[in-house]
Amino acid sequence: MPLTIIRSIENKIVLQLKDFFLTMQEFFLFSLRAFVAFPKMIRYWRDVFDQATICGTDSIPIVLVSAISIGALLAIEVGNLLEDFGAKTMLGRSTALSVIRELGPLLMGLMLSARFGSRNGAELGAMQISEQIDALRAFGTDPIAKLVMPRLVAALIMFLPLTALSDFAGLQSAAYMAEHYHRIDPGIFWNAVYPRLAPKDFVVGFLKAPVFAVIITLVSCFNGFSARGGTAGVGRSTIKGIVVSSGLVLIANFYVSKIVLENM
Amino acid sequence: MIELRNVSLKYGEREILKNVSLTIKDNTIKAILGPSGVGKSTILKLMLGLIKPSSGQVIIDGTDITCMKERSLYSIRRKMGMVFQGNALFDSLTISQNLGFFLRENLKLPEEEISQKVAEQIQFAGLEGYEDQLPESLSGGMRRRVAIGRALIFKPHMILFDEPTAGLDPVSSKKILSLISSLRNHNNLGAVIVTHIIDDVFHVADSVAVLYQGKIIFDDVTEKLHEAEHPFIRSILSDKILEL
Repeated sequence: MPLTIIRSIENKIVLQLKDFFLTMQEFFLFSLRAFVAFPKMIRYWRDVFDQATICGTDSIPIVLVSAISIGALLAIEVGNLLEDFGAKTMLGRSTALSVIRELGPLLMGLMLSARFGSRNGAELGAMQISEQIDALRAFGTDPIAKLVMPRLVAALIMFLPLTALSDFAGLQSAAYMAEHYHRIDPGIFWNAVYPRLAPKDFVVGFLKAPVFAVIITLVSCFNGFSARGGTAGVGRSTIKGIVVSSGLVLIANFYVSKIVLENM
Repeated sequence: MIELRNVSLKYGEREILKNVSLTIKDNTIKAILGPSGVGKSTILKLMLGLIKPSSGQVIIDGTDITCMKERSLYSIRRKMGMVFQGNALFDSLTISQNLGFFLRENLKLPEEEISQKVAEQIQFAGLEGYEDQLPESLSGGMRRRVAIGRALIFKPHMILFDEPTAGLDPVSSKKILSLISSLRNHNNLGAVIVTHIIDDVFHVADSVAVLYQGKIIFDDVTEKLHEAEHPFIRSILSDKILEL
């Protein structure tokens, strides 16, 4: 009896592993096809433009709200901590490093994973279950070139300015809180920011934008394309897309910082 | 001409199709009849190369498409039009945009020519006045007519219908069947109709193949279906609609 149970567990694990590797293989081929479709960018420039509006312009409010709130909170908390050491004048430096290297791009990534990723997953998932993607293929249009490549190009273009905006808004709100909450002169705050920022701080922050763009777009689109089982299936694939892309954004955030900071 | 030669298809351990062989000649209407979930729609997807068989060959106009790459398949697929069961219209596009979508996508035609072709299909489908409406604002029968118009706009040799009258009221079903019959007379088209409604078969099909438990149990001219002795065929002839 215990041997039967062990065998059944073993079979389950083997099946799950097999399923995992097959999914990885499919995801790799899917991603490859999205990159191979890049030369069709000119043909689909309208789709690229539409997607750039969706993931870029339309995402500005959510990116601003998250960056402003985290910048303000960071200034309050770090300021309180530095006050204990009599180093409140260092608030600008510590806030700038945190925002530009980590929190600005990370929050932008997580917000876009939720906003842009969920939209991709739901829209493409709905197209998949209503056979619209099959219709594209049936009538001779490559669905990856038409639906995925424009989203990927748009994200690669728009995530950089959104990161810059997130950094800018975060620092501005931190400066505001430094002045009005901690009573630090703005000159002192900004003097601690500018001279101390090194190129590697910007490289770390801005290198994350294209990495997050690729992760969020490909994961969410792949999950949309894989949707099965009616409207519930669309919901499942959308959630899966958000969860996986958010997790990967967090992991990529750590590794990009680690690799760049260790090598620059 | 479309040929399926000893096609089998497995999903995991489940064998959907077992050694299915079919021939659909040009300028004829062939029905594939069978109960729901037996693999009828799968046959249409195999014909378009949307899915690959586990074994056997799919041959379109003498070209074996079984192992063809996706990119090479696009030109083959343009010889056929497909009307999906749920219509698969692009819900964010108007009727005119839906009809002209693939012309704009795949052929470098001048806009005037596209508009003319779209207008022809609007007229053929009897949808004048609905050009700028979204699919969601149309009835089921009208949406089906748009889907047929979209499939016809390329002037394909063969048109594939997946349950063309499913979910439609009797009046709309009749209109769709008349539309399908008129295709042969007016455009010299061949068609494959997948259905579980036996009346549809007698209404439009020249020949019929009956799919049962993954196998073709009958493949002949429609009139001979009455002479078939297979118990399943006898039962469907008395029940008319297959809900097994």
